[in-house]
Amino acid sequence: MLPGPAQPARTESRRQLIYELLSGGSGLLLALFMWGHMVLVGTILTGERGFDWLATALEDYYVAQPTVIVIFALFLLHAALASRKIPAQLRERKTILKLARGLADSGRGSAYSASEFSVFRPHVDSLLWIWQVRTGMVVLVLGSFHIVLLGVDVLTPLFGERTGIEAVTSLARVQSGLWLPYAVLLVCVEFHASIGLYRLAIKWGAGAMLRRETLRVIEHILLWFFLGLGTVVLLVLAGAIEPPLQFIMPDSGP
Amino acid sequence: MTADNADTGRSLHFEIFRYNAADPDAGPTMQHFYIDETPYMSLFIALNQIRETQDPSLQFDFACRSAVCGSCGMMVNGRPVLGCRTLTADLPGHIRLHPLPVFKLIGDLSVDTGVWFRDMAENTGAWMHTTTPFDPDTREQRMDDELAQAIYEGDRCIECGCCVAACGAANVNPDFKGPAGLNRVARFMLDPRDERDDADWFDIISNQDGIFGCLGMMACSDVCPKQLPLLEVYAYLRRKALTARLTE
Repeated sequence: MLPGPAQPARTESRRQLIYELLSGGSGLLLALFMWGHMVLVGTILTGERGFDWLATALEDYYVAQPTVIVIFALFLLHAALASRKIPAQLRERKTILKLARGLADSGRGSAYSASEFSVFRPHVDSLLWIWQVRTGMVVLVLGSFHIVLLGVDVLTPLFGERTGIEAVTSLARVQSGLWLPYAVLLVCVEFHASIGLYRLAIKWGAGAMLRRETLRVIEHILLWFFLGLGTVVLLVLAGAIEPPLQFIMPDSGP
Repeated sequence: MTADNADTGRSLHFEIFRYNAADPDAGPTMQHFYIDETPYMSLFIALNQIRETQDPSLQFDFACRSAVCGSCGMMVNGRPVLGCRTLTADLPGHIRLHPLPVFKLIGDLSVDTGVWFRDMAENTGAWMHTTTPFDPDTREQRMDDELAQAIYEGDRCIECGCCVAACGAANVNPDFKGPAGLNRVARFMLDPRDERDDADWFDIISNQDGIFGCLGMMACSDVCPKQLPLLEVYAYLRRKALTARLTE
């Protein structure tokens, strides 16, 4: 080793690595959780019985209670660490926004831009980064509200007949107007998570195994699949459509 | 009129950023020029025509005309490109030209990339660090062809500054090493003749001015005129930072 910087600098370098790993790692865990969450909430597609059965099971075995607390902690950790890359000053944000818009617009409408050798290859990833920040801000506000609300539902007897999540109160909440913030939250979460996973994969070198175009296709498939599924779930919760999978668990079943 | 000079029938509207440091009161302005497009017209040809026939005070840089010297980087309709290899046929009829951001402005479209690149080279120690005395009589160290090719990939950078101009992080953080700087670091990390070890590299890259200042917008990779594998370079640096810490 050549004469290097003093120990405080080394400590700072270690800290910066930890920050990067925690912000990416917490994002990855939250994205994976969101897919599992979608499957769990998706039980409403089989009707109220299926939903209540699963909710009660997760609460009886004390899976739901610690999960709410751990996810909220991860959520706040991710917000604190991922936001360290957002420029603080309005002037800096405008600089980045202008740059990203210019890069995106300059690639459009040119017949030659499709070629990989063109100097005007399409570039929207800068603009997508800005939208990732914007959707992240929305998720921080609406997601906090949602997690606190569900935390109260899981941990206290405030909503419904008993302590825990019940289909009746969930449906009542969504139908009384919460469908609107939930619809916004759904779009923002799915966009933020799929773009985030794509960026994380590129950052750590998935591009060496899969081409960037392939990763983008995977990202699009994940985005539209979970957005579609989430929309159907939300429509059922809002009472707009009947649960499409009710035949699996009929209310008047055995 | 020869065939090469034949009119393509299109009139090009150039909107060019003007600023003369010797006359700061005039302030920065956008000046409009109109010229007739000719076949295979590059921005190099177009700008020279404007300077010769309309405004001899227009400042811009060109040297090699073949995407090797890296002096003609400029913002074209919001994107950093090399003027010499950009054909007007690829562009809409209205062409906006600005100097590259981040770098020191000399005047009009001309910027000083040299100051930035020298600072970067000093900050990253972009030269061979070795304690082995040079002996002209011994043979050069042997190197695998694969490794030599990988090092050469990094060396293909022409320092035009397009990646730096397109980089969101470099545009707001003047200390950020930038795409070209990180590529340079990776080049010396790969080189076995450089005696710096993992701990030395860790201090250079594991910070907000190094690889963790990267936002992941990927514009650098999409605008690089030499199509350097920048995204792979960053992934390599991230993994090296992690393994350096794990093997400390």
